[in-house]
Amino acid sequence: MTTDPAAWVDAHGDRLFRYALSRIRDERAAEDLIQDTLIVAFKSRDKFKGESSELTWMIGILRNKIFEHLRRQSREVPLDPSEDGDEREDANFENGRHWKPEHAPRDWGNEPQHKAESAEFSAALRGCLDALTPNVARAFVLREMEGVGHRECAEAMGVPPARLAVLLYRARMRLRRCLERNHFAPEAA
Amino acid sequence: MSLLPTCRDVSRILSDARDTGRPLGLHVRIHLGICAVCRRVLAQFAILGAAVKKAPQSGPALSSEAKDRLRRALDGHS
Repeated sequence: MTTDPAAWVDAHGDRLFRYALSRIRDERAAEDLIQDTLIVAFKSRDKFKGESSELTWMIGILRNKIFEHLRRQSREVPLDPSEDGDEREDANFENGRHWKPEHAPRDWGNEPQHKAESAEFSAALRGCLDALTPNVARAFVLREMEGVGHRECAEAMGVPPARLAVLLYRARMRLRRCLERNHFAPEAA
Repeated sequence: MSLLPTCRDVSRILSDARDTGRPLGLHVRIHLGICAVCRRVLAQFAILGAAVKKAPQSGPALSSEAKDRLRRALDGHS
């Protein structure tokens, strides 16, 4: 393991950057988090036992930094009251009951899991995540991308668990719809 | 009046179940058994969840200016 943190920039900078940017959508903030990560890694290099790769170890540190960043943002930026309504999701349903034919989820074809591993899917997903409103995106990143527990996620965002459930529902429905339009079945959307 | 939940209810329940780990109730499972569209929602939520957990293998890289900035900031620590 090198003990020169500047050398880590070349060795791991791009992958750490991609990881951070996929979660926080702000290039400058992502750079700052990488800088903090590399400083923490350098200061705690004696604790690295080589049980995982150097990159995996650094991503572990970066994940903590991302969690704190999102937690801080959630506290600093109050929930937008305009995000309260579920009208957009409810518009998918006929009389609030069953799917309208034009909004009903389409078949994503054979082996959609396999398709979801492609670079094209990743690019489409990034675009769809960027289109989410900030609080909806933060909820989804913390819960689904970072795997933070439901209660811990609600606490980090400063919202009751029921409110978090609404944000996550909104995120999934919008991402699902966005991917369907832009990746899986654009010709049918 | 039907005891079965509506598609709207089921889409919310499927989302909640992913977060709470609560098992799906009998009525929801019956609904899924007869509603192919809601089965797609179930599958699509799962695909989304699995796909986003992976570290991105492609995408933007740090600019050379950003790398320089990082190296300068880290200089004092080596």
